[in-house]
Amino acid sequence: MAANAATGAAEAAGEAGRPPLDIRWWGLWFVLPVVVFFAVFSVFPVFFGFYLSLTDYDLLSPPLFIGLDNFRNLASDKLFLTALVNTLVFVVGATLPVWAASLAAALLFDQVFRGRDVVKAIFFLPVLPPAVVIAVIWRLLLHPNGIATSTVGWFNGISEIPWLANTVLAPLAMIVVHDWAAIPFFMLIWLAGLTGIPQEVRDAAIVDGAGALARFWYVDLPLLRSTSLLVASLATINAFQSFVLQFVLSADQGGPANSTLVLGLLVFKYGFQYFRMGDAAAVSVVMFAIIMSVTLLQLWLGRRVY
Amino acid sequence: MSIDLRPRGGFLLRDPIFLSIALSAALLFAFPLWFMATSAFKAEPEIQAIPIHWLPHDFQWLAQFKLAGEIAPLWLYFTNSMVFSLAHVAGTVFFGAMAGFGFAKYKFPGRTILFLLVISTLMVPFQILVVPLFIEIKYFGWENSYTGLILPGLINAFGVFMMRQYAEALPDELLEAARVDGASEPYIFLRIVLPLLAPALVSLGIIVFIWAWGAFLWPLVVVQDRNLYVLSVGLSAYVQPYNREPTWGAAMAASTIATLPIACLFIFLQRYFIKGLTAAAVKG
Repeated sequence: MAANAATGAAEAAGEAGRPPLDIRWWGLWFVLPVVVFFAVFSVFPVFFGFYLSLTDYDLLSPPLFIGLDNFRNLASDKLFLTALVNTLVFVVGATLPVWAASLAAALLFDQVFRGRDVVKAIFFLPVLPPAVVIAVIWRLLLHPNGIATSTVGWFNGISEIPWLANTVLAPLAMIVVHDWAAIPFFMLIWLAGLTGIPQEVRDAAIVDGAGALARFWYVDLPLLRSTSLLVASLATINAFQSFVLQFVLSADQGGPANSTLVLGLLVFKYGFQYFRMGDAAAVSVVMFAIIMSVTLLQLWLGRRVY
Repeated sequence: MSIDLRPRGGFLLRDPIFLSIALSAALLFAFPLWFMATSAFKAEPEIQAIPIHWLPHDFQWLAQFKLAGEIAPLWLYFTNSMVFSLAHVAGTVFFGAMAGFGFAKYKFPGRTILFLLVISTLMVPFQILVVPLFIEIKYFGWENSYTGLILPGLINAFGVFMMRQYAEALPDELLEAARVDGASEPYIFLRIVLPLLAPALVSLGIIVFIWAWGAFLWPLVVVQDRNLYVLSVGLSAYVQPYNREPTWGAAMAASTIATLPIACLFIFLQRYFIKGLTAAAVKG
């Protein structure tokens, strides 16, 4: 009966004959393994993590419920506040230049010229190595007497620069290395957006006598608004989660003097070096809140744009 | 900056201008990788030579790779990484296609809420999961084991999302025709749907492989036994602790090994590679 009613409704809605109920249930069997998997390894841990953030837990004795104490402590926790500021600085350095430079690169590689595809593939290479490899290579390039130093020294004669041992240079180095790998990746996203612009629109602008700059400003950029938003939010979310660079490339995992300590690294340190699981979970909840706000902001802006 | 958007083709004069700008940018970005790959074949003192040796003067054939294998069990790490990554690829490709197909083509009750449940996990950054997940895995007794290492990331929700989109595009008539011919639903999935999704599954497989190959945080926390290290975790040992000067030749050789699988995918499957990366970014 139910199946017949459903079929009738579907046909009324213009859909061609829905399969009877027993076939439809097969769908549930197909999705069930995946649903169970995510319930166990994603949904449950998220809620468990929220609970842990309200406890004092060192893995040895059972978790002790302490309400919002962990969050209250964070407000006066020097390490956390340092990490928060470092993260925000890193995010600024890992988004604005990336956004602009990857757009410039995409505009360049959107032009037609001989050898373009080969050159584009070369430009794209930094996307390939895993994050740890990037950190290892740059440890060598940023050696105090290494290539970065000799390049700079060529201008001013300095022969030793402590790139990773200086509290101002080290966070800057993290940003440069991050951006080096991020720019070619985001160029790809911009290019996908640029390819989506119909050639007729550009041709029409040319016929109307628009100059190159005017065409970029009034034709391309407005049509790239959703891509632009996507690049901005992806770059922001990725930067907030940065961990590997600060863990492998920096001196003593977050050093010197905690100048490269970011929130992602602090979660690891509290959880797996100090075994303060409650504090680690509290920091991760703060990260979650920040990243969620970025996502929501993106959705809200996306809706306003259209 | 003036951007020329004249109709494509023609204007041969501008080729050298664009080419030289693009080539300088490309070489600047590719330099660190060139340096890594060439240093893997240099003798140790040559690596830090100033001015830089663009090619090895005293070419080392495999000495640095052998040394890298002596400092740490590089080949074991490589195998662990391969098992880890291929398991993730297989899990996400198979279960992703199956669930994507289920969500796309069967209108069972509750499918919207279940789909949202799966997709919402995409918005959760891994740092949120790492602490509770570790405690959960420890509780199951899977800490320090292949199960604990591999299982929690076996299926990626992005695969379900991507495959649902591709499965939705398959014509319903095709499935109907198979049913009329007496095919069972599992048969339809395995013999009709799966082959039709194959090109998309290649793109998905590549992106999952890249993610899994670069995975660091979870393998770092869940495994203490060095025999279970994946390559990225093992690699960090070449440059740590920080105050010890690394053996750079070995570190560069190991880094080259760690980049090789991804580079091969890029060279041989470039079209799928770019497609997969773009699809993964645009998912939101």
